[in-house]
Amino acid sequence: MKKPVFGLILGGVLGVFDGLSALISAPETAPGIAGIVAGSTVKGIITGALIGWIARRLDSLLLGVVIGGAIGLALAGVISVMQKLSGQPPYYWQIMLPGAILGMIVGYATFTHRERKVA
Amino acid sequence: MSDRFPETRHSIVANLGSDDPAVRSPAFEVLVASYWKPIYKYLRLRWQLPHEQAEDLTQDFFADSLERQLLAAFDPAKARFRTFLRLCLDHLVTDEFHAARRLKRGGGAPVLSLDFTGACDEVTGVAAPGDDPDALFHREWIRAVFEAAVGALEAEYAAMGKSAAWRVFAAYDLDRVRDVAEPSYADVAARVGVPVTQVTNHLAAARRRLRVLVLERVRAVTSGEEEYREELRELFGGKPA
Amino acid sequence: MSGLGNAALDHLRDVLERPDLSGTRYDLVEPIAQGGMGTVYRAWDRELARDVAIKVVRSELADSEIAGRLTGEAKILAQLEHPGLVPVHEVGRLADGRSFYVMRLVRGQELDLAALEVRTLPERLRLYLKILDPIAYAHSRGIIHRDLKPGNIMVGPFGEVLVLDWGIAKAVSTREAAGPAERTAALPGATNPGAVLGTYGFMAPEQAIGGSVAVDHRADVYSLGVILRTLINPAGSGAKPLVAIIARATAADPAARYAGVGDLAADVSAYLDGRPVAAYHENLIERIGRFVSRHQVAIGLVVAYLLMRIVLLVFR
Repeated sequence: MKKPVFGLILGGVLGVFDGLSALISAPETAPGIAGIVAGSTVKGIITGALIGWIARRLDSLLLGVVIGGAIGLALAGVISVMQKLSGQPPYYWQIMLPGAILGMIVGYATFTHRERKVA
Repeated sequence: MSDRFPETRHSIVANLGSDDPAVRSPAFEVLVASYWKPIYKYLRLRWQLPHEQAEDLTQDFFADSLERQLLAAFDPAKARFRTFLRLCLDHLVTDEFHAARRLKRGGGAPVLSLDFTGACDEVTGVAAPGDDPDALFHREWIRAVFEAAVGALEAEYAAMGKSAAWRVFAAYDLDRVRDVAEPSYADVAARVGVPVTQVTNHLAAARRRLRVLVLERVRAVTSGEEEYREELRELFGGKPA
Repeated sequence: MSGLGNAALDHLRDVLERPDLSGTRYDLVEPIAQGGMGTVYRAWDRELARDVAIKVVRSELADSEIAGRLTGEAKILAQLEHPGLVPVHEVGRLADGRSFYVMRLVRGQELDLAALEVRTLPERLRLYLKILDPIAYAHSRGIIHRDLKPGNIMVGPFGEVLVLDWGIAKAVSTREAAGPAERTAALPGATNPGAVLGTYGFMAPEQAIGGSVAVDHRADVYSLGVILRTLINPAGSGAKPLVAIIARATAADPAARYAGVGDLAADVSAYLDGRPVAAYHENLIERIGRFVSRHQVAIGLVVAYLLMRIVLLVFR
């Protein structure tokens, strides 16, 4: 599997669970959970695809983890800003910190993932 | 050089034990040519015998060997021929001491004409040997083999009129003194009066021929393939024997 | 002439052992290694202006069947083209009648010396894997080495590995290599006449017995197992999977060993990558331990994520 595809899928799956975790960490968001899950899934997909794209061009695991974290952090930050702009109460660190770690996980997994040649 | 080394390409060791004098005596000639010097020097250096006694005992040794068919007792499985000879020699010397008498030289045995005076001079020129009698005998045997081969080479070159080639070889390979730097090819070329480019050619050819002559002589006085190889392994390479 | 002095005698003994390179394009430089059947010299190739190595059969073996073995070695090497094997440039007879062949001059250290400079176990194992490569290749061409030991393996200045001394190597057809085939005869004229060819300590038992026992490529697997043992000691002697790999490679019964060098290499690679090795059945704890140590970064990140979720839950 190619790295961008792998990153995209992994990012998407982790994004679904990350979004669902809001039910536990912030039960008051339950009515809007569908939007939250959709948002974090899209965020995960973008993060994974970006990391996958970079991973094909870069050969450093440490950089991969750092870049993954940075992308996760940045996208979560963008979402916070969008929340604020749309008049909702923004969750800055509550979504930025997990977003960064998720980005690191996707970064690590994508960089260590070996593309198997398809015959 | 007084050694006449009879032409042979095969081992003479087995022939020494033959009952047929026609087989035995040429073999015996090779034996004497190869071994009289090592034996004489061994007696002088190892047994510290004076010149005359060593000379007598060398003669006795060969006479004894002929008379008593001593060499027929040689068993290649037990020892190398060289070691066997040395042990026979040691026996002879100790017999001599114990009996406190000189062995009467065998009546009918011929007295060999050997240049003991020359050999005596050589003994004084040789550094004091180590304690190991076999090493001493071995080294003197190697020396005798090389001397005989060099003598044969000199005779061949003289017969072919290659005096310049011989002089190059002698100047570069024979004229050597310990702890003195080896001569340069240019020195040798100047001394002999040949172009420098000829020096290496002459040297290579002389060494190539000398090699063959040495191998023939070792082959002659070893009992078989295995002993031949063992002797050669120790003979070449310039390691001190 | 009168007697030869010691200096002249020693000189003659030395120069007569030197190979006579007249008529070739090489100049003798110096002896660099002494083997059972030949001496290797450094020489200068005048035409291509480079150093080469010349292996010349020893004087005493010049007219024996050993001389043929030297030529045989050259021919075997010439069949094998691999970066881990020395290329042969030329083979023939010298003016003095001795067989010789010319090969690339190998620069480097013998394995046991080189290993001293390789400190960590993974690095040593990676070095070891490089040794297996040319041998697996030779086996695939139906050639078994039969004398593998650290002294026959050179490690170059860039970590490249060369397997030398194919003097007693045997060509067996690949079909034969799979089953009982080669008989190691006690060849006369070896360094120890009547002795079995090879080196005790590194030699497979079926090879050491000699005589009528079949020897195939698994004899090399045995030697490689012994080499692995010398290479990982003492750092790796506590690693159970490695010990098991060595035990399988050096099993007394050839059938109990790895079927080929490739399988041995696969197991060593697996150990290096933290994957399970075929030679060792691990229990659950060992398996979990290996999984954790192999994926420690990923596990660490997931744990960090979960921890943070818990922290956010508690301090919301």
